[in-house]
Amino acid sequence: MKPIACVSGVELLMEYLEGVVPPELRAALDEHVAGCPRCTAFVESYLAVPRILREATASTVPVHLEASLKAFLRARTDAFKEN
Amino acid sequence: MVVTAAEPSDETLAARAAAGDDSAFEALVERYQVRIFRLACRLTSETDAPDVLQETFLQVYRHLSSFRGESQFGTWLYRIASNAALMHRRATARRPAESLDMFLPRFDALGTHAATPAELQVASHADELLDRQFLADKARHVIARLPELYRDAFVLRDLEEMSTADVAHALGVDAATVRQRVHRARLMLRGYLADLVGAKS
Repeated sequence: MKPIACVSGVELLMEYLEGVVPPELRAALDEHVAGCPRCTAFVESYLAVPRILREATASTVPVHLEASLKAFLRARTDAFKEN
Repeated sequence: MVVTAAEPSDETLAARAAAGDDSAFEALVERYQVRIFRLACRLTSETDAPDVLQETFLQVYRHLSSFRGESQFGTWLYRIASNAALMHRRATARRPAESLDMFLPRFDALGTHAATPAELQVASHADELLDRQFLADKARHVIARLPELYRDAFVLRDLEEMSTADVAHALGVDAATVRQRVHRARLMLRGYLADLVGAKS
């Protein structure tokens, strides 16, 4: 298999990480990344994205939310049953 | 949530609720309300999330009889919540989100990374370098700027940590499409985070 360019590696990164690329292509990608500091750094930063944004958006639930949801649903489900 | 032997499964509660047992419905609401609220925040905003949360469980109640247990209750619920968020966004659409295309990675004519390793590493250090509240605000802002199809796939797959197969089921597309959308979102967000840190330091 011919050598992989960075751009191809980036295109295939999600499939690679999910294990859905064929073994031969996977081996070629492994070889490229191992010898390419830019791709090694790219993979690290790519993997950081979900973690950073998951932590940054882990919101807390407002205090009265549960009570207001319960009241809303009781009223609306009762109305639904009457129709 | 870890369901112990003493607790009825989601599917059992859903069947009871569909048969008219309101306490079973309330138990499902209690079990999922925090997760659906968090999902709604990520798919819309903290301001809009309470409305999306209410609409989601109202839709669940109305459609319980059509839940056949072909998928897990949680996946079915996330599908309803995603649709409720989508409808809410359309109803309250303010202005079209700007494109994040400028944050996609760049390559030279040979297909080699055009940026330096130092720039590439910057996204992974964003959480260490940025003030948490600042980062939280920026995160919501940038997620809202993703194209709608990418945002839904990214939020479910990467923020809610659903499997690709479950996201595919929730969004009604195939797994390859989910991977393509999530990948595109990650690339845009990675570039945005790198730019954010670069601009601040």
